[in-house]
Amino acid sequence: MDKAYILENGIIEQYLLGELSAEDELSLERLLAEDEELMARFKTIEASFESLAFENAVNPPKQVKERLMNSVKGSETKVVSLPKQNPFKNYLAMAASVAAVLLIGSIWMYSQLNKTNKQLQIVEEQNSQLLEDLNGLKGNLETTTAYLDILNSAETKQYILKGNALSPEAKVVSYVNHKQKSVIVNTVDLPKLDNAHNYQMWADVDGEMINMGVIKKDGPLLAMNYIEDAASLNITIEPAGGSDHPTVSRLITNVYL
Amino acid sequence: MQNDTALISNLKNKDEAALSQLYDAYAPAIYGVIIRMCKDEQHAQNILQDTFLTIWEKSHQYNPDKGKFYTWAYRIAKNKTLNFLRKDKKLIQTEDLSVYKDKEESITDNGDYLQLKGCLKQLEPHHQRALELVYFNGLTHREAHEEMDVPLGSFKSYIKQALKKLKLSYDKAIVWFLILIEVIR
Repeated sequence: MDKAYILENGIIEQYLLGELSAEDELSLERLLAEDEELMARFKTIEASFESLAFENAVNPPKQVKERLMNSVKGSETKVVSLPKQNPFKNYLAMAASVAAVLLIGSIWMYSQLNKTNKQLQIVEEQNSQLLEDLNGLKGNLETTTAYLDILNSAETKQYILKGNALSPEAKVVSYVNHKQKSVIVNTVDLPKLDNAHNYQMWADVDGEMINMGVIKKDGPLLAMNYIEDAASLNITIEPAGGSDHPTVSRLITNVYL
Repeated sequence: MQNDTALISNLKNKDEAALSQLYDAYAPAIYGVIIRMCKDEQHAQNILQDTFLTIWEKSHQYNPDKGKFYTWAYRIAKNKTLNFLRKDKKLIQTEDLSVYKDKEESITDNGDYLQLKGCLKQLEPHHQRALELVYFNGLTHREAHEEMDVPLGSFKSYIKQALKKLKLSYDKAIVWFLILIEVIR
């Protein structure tokens, strides 16, 4: 492509009209930059084309400009990241409130659990207490039943020991069953002793006093040791825990069998 | 047409006021080309808006050394219109052809404002027609010479002569224009 060819074939016109290939455009641009005359020609034709358009201008409706300016404004303000951040913030707030509800819920449930645990502990304690009581009662019932069997037995003989001058109010009922070899005493009417002393029961066998046991202070009915061939039953006051030999001076009552 | 250097550098810096001023200056000329090419006001308006949106978005691609702002804008508008017409023709062809014909006729009937004006009117009819085809109808030189049924060489010389005569009229017109501006001032 040279200058003559360009002028001959209306290449500048075609360039301005956008009809040339990209390759031809580049070579024309190169030539234009080098050749002032060509450049002057180019400017003339370009000016004519422009004038042509301005002479034949048609005013577009105003809405077109409004829409254009709005869309341009829109494209610029779209960069603002508000709408992007908002949902994120919302999710964060939602997550935070869910977490808060869960936390409060857990604390409440934990306190409830503690309360329930304490109640359970109390119930367990009460339960074991009741079980203990029940066992105690069972034991009591068994001994009482055993006593009652003996007391009701036809072979049981009843002896009453009345207090002498040392303890005139004392009265002990003793039940002796020689067949079952058992002795039970009712000590309801024995005057109370201090902590340093106990009543002790003795059997007289051929002039010798044999220990039948210390009379405990906790119940009205009491089983004592049965001694074979006893001639009499005797009760003395002894130091706490009882003695090996009776303190005869403190004999309060006796009965002959 | 005018010294737009400052406006264009503002446009490149995404100054909306610059876009607004350039639109006011160039949109009527560009719209004149678009509407004569596509002959449909609604579509021409959309293409005009689209053209200026592209000017806004691709302003960094405009190089003043390679030509006037108008030339750059004209070529964007012409490409967009031709693209639209190609798409539109494809659509139309699957439908009733007469609809398109009627539309074309109705717009030329009502479109007195689309009649060419100015110095172009002073040209001989075949020069006028040649320029109209390549400039306002968007035809290439090859398409246009077939349309006018003259050899390509003759057609090219029509364009050249037409432009030469136009230049003479414009030189006169510009003198009058400058005098007018001085008087107004």
